[in-house]
Amino acid sequence: MIYYLGAFGLIFIGLYIVLVKHNLIKVIIGLSILNTGINLFLISIGFVKKGTAPIFSHPGLKAIRMVDPVPQALVLTAIVIGVAVLALALSLAIRLYQHYGTLNLRKIREQKW
Amino acid sequence: MVNPVLLIVVPLGLAFAIPLFGFISKRIEKYIPLTAMLFNLIVSLLLIPKALQQPIVVSIGGFPPPFCINLVAGPVGILFSAIIALVGLLVSVYALDYIKQGATGEYHILYLLLLVGATGVVLTGDIFNLFVFFEILCISSYALVAHSGDKAGIESAVKYLIQGAIGSSLILIAIALLYGLFGTLNMADIARNIDSVSSISVFVPLVLFITGLGVEAAIFPLNAWLPDAHSSAPSSISAILSGIAIEVGIYAVARVIFTIFGAQSILLFLLLLGILTLLIGEMCAFSQRNIKRLLAYSSIGQIGLILFALGIATHSGVVGGLFQIISHALSKALLFLAVGYMIYRTGSLEISTLEGMGRKMPLTSLAFTIGAFSLVGLPPFVGFPSKFLIVRAALIAQEPLFVVLIALVLLGTIIEGAYFLRIVQVLYFKGEKSNSKIEDAPIVALIPIFILMLLILIIGIYPKLLTGVLNSAAGEFLNRVGYIKSVLG
Repeated sequence: MIYYLGAFGLIFIGLYIVLVKHNLIKVIIGLSILNTGINLFLISIGFVKKGTAPIFSHPGLKAIRMVDPVPQALVLTAIVIGVAVLALALSLAIRLYQHYGTLNLRKIREQKW
Repeated sequence: MVNPVLLIVVPLGLAFAIPLFGFISKRIEKYIPLTAMLFNLIVSLLLIPKALQQPIVVSIGGFPPPFCINLVAGPVGILFSAIIALVGLLVSVYALDYIKQGATGEYHILYLLLLVGATGVVLTGDIFNLFVFFEILCISSYALVAHSGDKAGIESAVKYLIQGAIGSSLILIAIALLYGLFGTLNMADIARNIDSVSSISVFVPLVLFITGLGVEAAIFPLNAWLPDAHSSAPSSISAILSGIAIEVGIYAVARVIFTIFGAQSILLFLLLLGILTLLIGEMCAFSQRNIKRLLAYSSIGQIGLILFALGIATHSGVVGGLFQIISHALSKALLFLAVGYMIYRTGSLEISTLEGMGRKMPLTSLAFTIGAFSLVGLPPFVGFPSKFLIVRAALIAQEPLFVVLIALVLLGTIIEGAYFLRIVQVLYFKGEKSNSKIEDAPIVALIPIFILMLLILIIGIYPKLLTGVLNSAAGEFLNRVGYIKSVLG
């Protein structure tokens, strides 16, 4: 239960930062926190207290005590995707700073409806 | 028989082999996307007759579904992959000449990855796999929007990235919730069990899915990124983003609603969102002075129309929606490609600088005119049968509400006609007769433009060419039980 609370706490903190902060770097940090929250949520779905790896390494192991491996595989993929987005976002932030001399998103508004 | 997995594997492999080819010669690089998409088009066309009889289910790793990641190449998947390959092929021919400066090698890698992501989304039968391919599509399109590296491109890419990243986070939360409920990621398996849990607990993932996918599909309150991104990207990329990327988003929304959730209750909401998207897109387009922004807003309007048609959810409604997807992909790609060289020659995005283009660049202007007429829905172009089918579907559904809504759709079409005809007028009838001859687009760019024009005309005159595929595609969307049976046996 505590894991779910933590996960959704992180998700909402991340969303709050993205929505409220003006600095692009802070927004990117917010995205990263949001991602971490989701990963924690995915992991906690498959979590079993005092569980073991899903390998029949010695006799007498019960399948019921085994941790579900699928969420962990999902989280690995999600982390890799998150890193790619983060890297792209940071490199765009560098270019944005070169063009405008600021990272304040409220001041960068040449494109609008 | 060719395996549908090749549709994803071959372009993916070739995409990452582009730098290796670059070692041999820099000049080969730009022919790789062309080759890959030609291969995809041939394979998709070969698979169509087979997929029409029975969806081809490929289990990766040899485990039977639902334990493996599977691809489902049904009529919908193959139809979409054929459109992606066709538009991708034509645009990559166009890009041979259009993309000259900057990071050309990287451009071709990202371009091919974008198309791989799109093909993967339409073929996969696994929701997490759908998310992964969606991210491939999104990340490469963020980077491609920023390809030119100028102020506008970077700014729009940042906006697109932030909104897209939040959207995909929502999709991931929805996938986590579904996995928590059902312990499976297979679409057919989830669809089979969806009725066994209370409807309120599947409502949250459904809403998260629609919101997350709606960002990429540019459904109304989530489309703030689209006009910026589509107008600042290079024109070849605008054509792909408008013709392929948002359509794939709409496909994913339809797949989630029709197949996975079978959610009848949310269709009315989608219908209204579609109308709202349509009217707002068209009205914003009407007031634009920037030609690419105008086309981008018109894409929003078209997405609204497609969403409306899918929201009718009768057989003829879905057929109309799918037909509209094809017609929009062809016409909008043609428009962006034609506009690309007009902008290239005049160096300005303002509509007023296009005055007299009809005499200076006659072929490109003709292409623009045909694309515009097709989008408005004038016969004998492809936009006419698709819009006609949608109107007919709404009228035969026998609901008073639909009649009111279809009137609003036609109002949107009138606005669309007004601004497109205004541009055609600017092209042909404005500006003084001057002898300052601007060169027409080069022949390499004119070939794909001509093929698109021909396709628009041929399908417009003889829409029966597509009805067989479209009917079984609509059947796949509406017949959930058939889908589940064909995947799980």
